[in-house]
Amino acid sequence: MSVGHVARLLETAGIATVIIASRVFEKRMRMMTLPRVLLTPYLMGRPVGPPGNTNAQRASVMAALALLDSAQQAGTVESLP
Amino acid sequence: MEAIAPAAETFTAFKRSFFYGTRSNLNFKFIKHLTDAQADEFLQGLLQEIAGAYDAGNPDRIFSHVLKWQTAGYQDEKNFDYSEGPFVALPKPVKDATLALLTSSGHYVAGDDPQPFGEAAMTQQEAEERIFDFLKEAPVLSEIPRQTPLESLEVRHGGYDVCSSRADANATFPIKILAALEQEGKIGRLAANAYSFVGACSQRRLLKRAGPEWADKLVSAGVEAACLVPV
Repeated sequence: MSVGHVARLLETAGIATVIIASRVFEKRMRMMTLPRVLLTPYLMGRPVGPPGNTNAQRASVMAALALLDSAQQAGTVESLP
Repeated sequence: MEAIAPAAETFTAFKRSFFYGTRSNLNFKFIKHLTDAQADEFLQGLLQEIAGAYDAGNPDRIFSHVLKWQTAGYQDEKNFDYSEGPFVALPKPVKDATLALLTSSGHYVAGDDPQPFGEAAMTQQEAEERIFDFLKEAPVLSEIPRQTPLESLEVRHGGYDVCSSRADANATFPIKILAALEQEGKIGRLAANAYSFVGACSQRRLLKRAGPEWADKLVSAGVEAACLVPV
């Protein structure tokens, strides 16, 4: 919830945001109608990717950055497989 | 005289004990939120998946099982249901924009402890024990210069298991991943500072004061886009 609120405040201030979240929190993310959300298939507490798995972490961040360029409206949610 | 046996623990009490109780476990605190039938299904399934994973030589099915039930444990959400939200289009491609990292993972630079409740050197254990105090407090934003070595980062957060963050900050605070992408030209500029706070905090205080101040800070720093990571 906290990061969702930060996203909403930053967008209001003119800063485009993207959130990288574990899909454990999908319901919470969708309820808050957030600007851009990337859901990842990782356990709570490791949303970007498991420790030491640079490839997985990089893939998460790359997908999030792509959402910054592509999203057209609030409530955009995409999932990593 | 016959000894009186202690009362048997109920299954409901057993479930609750994982949520800041006698069996506190921040990876599995979600068990408290499951119904008895769901918790029974989760635990029996977990045992089956462990044996199956051993036979298959692949633990992925265990992880999938835990992820499925962690998700089930966070379905009963009622607060902060917004039907619409703000959205600003990035006026330029990310490869030309200034981007900042901001996470709720509870990272800070060694020597710059945010000192919750005015306490110096609070331990992770103490933070877990005071989680309900954190939820009433205003959050504090730690500034983390982008060149900070990962070895100089500390992390403390009473709401999640920080072991993964300690093993590799990028699991929750992907500053080195972003720096590499900047080097490759996929980000225009990574902001001079990254930011982190403890997400377990008063939402009212975050919304009324701290959050708007943080937005002003990032705007003043020339930030055009932000990568946010909740834990």
